[in-house]
Parts: sequence; C-alpha cells; structure tokens
Amino acid sequence: MVDELYKAFVDSTYNVFNLMFNISDISVHSTENFTCDDEIDIVVGIVGELQGEVTYRFPVATSLSMVNIMSGMEFEDVDIFVTSAISEVANIISGNVVTALSDHTKKYDILPPVQGKPDDSKEYEIESSCCVSTSIGGICLKIGLNSA
Amino acid sequence: MLWKDAYELGVPQIDAQHKELFRRVEAFLQVVRSKDAWEEKLPKINETLEFMKGYVVEHFRDEEEYQKKINYPGYEAHKQIHIGMVDYVLEVSKQFEETNYNENLVQQFGGKLLSWLINHVAAEDQRIADYAKKEEVNGNGR
Repeated sequence: MVDELYKAFVDSTYNVFNLMFNISDISVHSTENFTCDDEIDIVVGIVGELQGEVTYRFPVATSLSMVNIMSGMEFEDVDIFVTSAISEVANIISGNVVTALSDHTKKYDILPPVQGKPDDSKEYEIESSCCVSTSIGGICLKIGLNSA
Repeated sequence: MLWKDAYELGVPQIDAQHKELFRRVEAFLQVVRSKDAWEEKLPKINETLEFMKGYVVEHFRDEEEYQKKINYPGYEAHKQIHIGMVDYVLEVSKQFEETNYNENLVQQFGGKLLSWLINHVAAEDQRIADYAKKEEVNGNGR
C-alpha cells in the first residue's frame, strides 16, 4: 500500500507540474537532503477507507515561481493570494491521487487544504515522505494514514 | 499572458469561450494585484464577479452539451466539477457583499481561481479533447 500510495503521489505531482507549469525535468529523492529556510506548509486531510493527512512543504522561492509561471505576474512575497494558489495546487495533486486510488471497493476523499504544520503527535500505520526536485525548486510531501 | 495555445481543444466554440474566460480572469487578476487603492479597484472586481456568475454558467453548459454530443464517458464527473466551481463563485460573491467587500476574500478567490482554471483547462478539459481524438469524433458536425 505504501508503495502504491507513494507512486500515486509522485505521478500526480509529475503530471501537475508538467501540465500546469510546463516542467517535465522532475526527480524524486529522500527528504534527508531537503533544506529550506522558509516555506508554505499545506495540509490536506484524507477521509474514507484510509484516514490521515498529507503535508506539502513548498519553499517560498518555489511557490513564487509557480504563481509567476501561472499568472505571468511578478510576486515578491507570500501573501494570501499566493497561499491560496499554492493550496489549490496541493488540492489538485491530492485529488488526482484519491481518484487514482479509488475503485469500486475502496473510496477516499480529501478535505479542503489548510495552511499549517502537520500534527507530529499523531501516529500512523502508513507513513511515507519524499521530495520532488524541479527546475524551479523542490517540494516535499509527508504522508500519514491509518485504516478506517 | 495567462492563455497558452497548448490549452486549445480543437473545438472552436469551446476554445473561443476559454480564451474569453482567460482574458477576463487575467484582467481581473491584474486589477486585484495592482497597487491602486482598494476602493478604486472595487468597480472592476464587482464587474468581473458579475461576469463570472453569468459567463461561467453559460460556458460550462456549452461544454457539457459538447461532451454529451460526443458521448464523453467522464461527463457526469466533469459536470460535478463544474457544479462545484459555480457554487464556489456564487458563495464568494455572496460573502463579498456580506463582508462589505473584504479584500482578503478577493485575494484568496483570485489565487484559487488562477490554479483551478489552469488545471481545469490544461488537464480536465484536455481529457475531452483526447477522447474526441481517440474516438475520431469532434462534435463539430464533421
């Protein structure tokens, strides 16, 4: 299940970066070497057959580049507009994953994205994390899920 | 520029509507992000919200008719996505009035609209074009 989930998130992130940002040079690696001074953390709750959350860590520079590519406008700082646009990207990646994993027997759904840190006090049966590197910077995903 | 030729589906009516939608959203975002005083931006923001409420519904209806015409298998799921966005636009518009034209609400709406629209046209709508191409149906009467 972890492998299936991991692959679904990586595939979805790849597709979203490819289609929305025209970026296809993407590589996946462990979170060990991920360093970032400032970031936007977006948490997307998962409900259904599996319950938990996925946290996306978007570095500020990556976030500003993403919004710049989409809008053609320059953004100097993270504000509510940028956070909202990045939250929607996290929502889209997660939505694609639950669609890919849901079938006639297993159903999942996602909750609206919220800005915030993951709840590190929670323990999960399924835990995974990875970083995705792109030409505009990297993003990290942390997945924590329990069976319903 | 917001619009990219890669977004074209090859259906003239839908492509023309997408371009108009992108043009309006781009103008809206430029106003929302400009450094002008909030009061000066309000008329344009109100105008765009009114346009969105009407045009989005019209465009979604035409796009759904096209999907039915070509027997697109993802019609129901796509329709639900449209309903969700229309509900969101109506809700924001309502809240905008109730909060006496709160700027943060519009900035939040603008950010989500930007990502949503690009993903919807570049990914969701492209699946319709891919299906039409695969099945060799275009619904253009040819």
